Amino acid sequence: MRRRLRRGLRRMTGDGATTYGVGIGWRPEISGFVADLPGLRFVEVIAESVASTGPPPALAELRDRGVAVVPHGVRLSLGGAEPVEPDRVRHFAQVARLLDAPLASEHIAFVRAGGVEAGHLLPLPRTREAVDAVVANVRRVQAELTVPLALEPIAALFDWPDDELDEAQFLTEILDRTGALLLLDIANVYANARNRGSDPLALLDRLPLDRIGYVHVAGGAAHDGIYHDTHTDPVPDAVLDLVTDLCARHRPPALLLERDGHYPEAAALRGELDAIAEASGYPAIT
Amino acid sequence: MDVLGQPDTWGIPGPTFLVFFLSTAAVLVVGTLVHRSVRFAGRTPSDLDHLHPVQVAWLNGGDSLAVYTALGALRAAGAVGTGADRRLHRTGPLPTGASRLEWAVHEATGRRIRAGQLTGDGGVRTALTDLRSGLERDGLAPTADARLAARTGPLLLLGLVALGAVRLGAGLAADRPVGFLVLALAFLLPTSLVLLFMVPRQTRAAKTVLRQMRVRYQHLSPVNSPAYATYGVAGAAMGVAIFGTAALYDLDPAFAAQAEIQRTAASGAGGSGDSGGGGDSGGG
Repeated sequence: MRRRLRRGLRRMTGDGATTYGVGIGWRPEISGFVADLPGLRFVEVIAESVASTGPPPALAELRDRGVAVVPHGVRLSLGGAEPVEPDRVRHFAQVARLLDAPLASEHIAFVRAGGVEAGHLLPLPRTREAVDAVVANVRRVQAELTVPLALEPIAALFDWPDDELDEAQFLTEILDRTGALLLLDIANVYANARNRGSDPLALLDRLPLDRIGYVHVAGGAAHDGIYHDTHTDPVPDAVLDLVTDLCARHRPPALLLERDGHYPEAAALRGELDAIAEASGYPAIT
Repeated sequence: MDVLGQPDTWGIPGPTFLVFFLSTAAVLVVGTLVHRSVRFAGRTPSDLDHLHPVQVAWLNGGDSLAVYTALGALRAAGAVGTGADRRLHRTGPLPTGASRLEWAVHEATGRRIRAGQLTGDGGVRTALTDLRSGLERDGLAPTADARLAARTGPLLLLGLVALGAVRLGAGLAADRPVGFLVLALAFLLPTSLVLLFMVPRQTRAAKTVLRQMRVRYQHLSPVNSPAYATYGVAGAAMGVAIFGTAALYDLDPAFAAQAEIQRTAASGAGGSGDSGGGGDSGGG
């Protein structure tokens, strides 16, 4: 298992890393559209939506034709003060095995506390105590997983008042201590920078870009002066520009369009995938 | 005359009659099934992509589903709507590439009729007849002659059942044993009725096509909440054609409810049954 993990890590990072190019989040609503993408080599599926008995036929078909399928967890609550629930971890690892995934991913966030479900991904205070809690939970998940785990920091509309670390320090510390990969959501980087009035490039320059497993790209919209990473709006040009800036520094092995609703016409969706390909220099998959 | 000295019913001993009765029934049932096997085989199209959603709908659910599929396509294209009086009306031009049935339904909505009245509209009926004729030429629907011929065997079987019933009455009146005859009739009456009324609407080739289409277009199943904006007008129409009017409710619940379209899911059994006449609409 350790050998497989190391092999997986080498596949996703390093000089000889396997590149997957541009992918798209597999959702049942657009599964027919996804299946028809001729150059597709990589999709992501919400891990909790896959039954432990096996993926839906359409997803299994993609897997069987050689498309890499990455389970993306949203309910593990890695940032919770309490240990991750063993049943959830077992299911997460089982799904990764069923999908023959090259890696799996989850968020650096918490979704429940004291038995109360928040229903949302909530940001952690960037403290050393929070780092310890995340690291402990990540290690519990890694103990079950047979493939590398990538961690995704989330967009946050506010910072906790008792933050001890900045975002780059917080992430780097967690990645260093767990050996996990980074799932960088470039739209979150844009949203956080825009809402906080900071420079997104300054953050990119301080992140361990060589540890990126893959990148999320998503659309959003501004309401009342605050930019929301909605996943239901078109990807703004500013986010695509940031993709180009990121790839100029270190091109990640894969970039994935996240769309979670209000799906547009097929031509518009293809246009977004093409725009990400153009911004990153990867071949178009449409 | 039997050993008890009672005369045989109609002068024919019971066992002799039963042998004749069951042999004839067996010939009729087997003959009917063989006839269907040959005349309802059909031809598999070389390319499923050439099948239009309304053709698939007709094979799957007859006239009414074909009409609702056309209506779904027109609604997805923004060409029809419903008013407060629950009557259909036009809200836009006929989309390009529309089928003859979609054209006829669009024309009918110009007359502000209800969804449930569409299958009775003259222009729509003509389009449905053309649709059916095309499917017959393609080997996907049996011809009217083949369907009529398929009823000959069951009708003869019913005649035989009637003869058996008369014999049963005579036997009972004469206090003769009738147990085997009752058993034979209890099997043959429902068999003949099923064969008479369950004449397939589609050929076996069409049933195979429908099975393949359900797999191929599984992403359009309402259980996936398909993104119809992404799949476009053709996708919306194919969803209704394969998965029934439940897909129309998924596509546009307000429109489907206001048009009083009965929510049905095409089960995938590949429907046998008589005709494809209207009838599943709650409108009117």
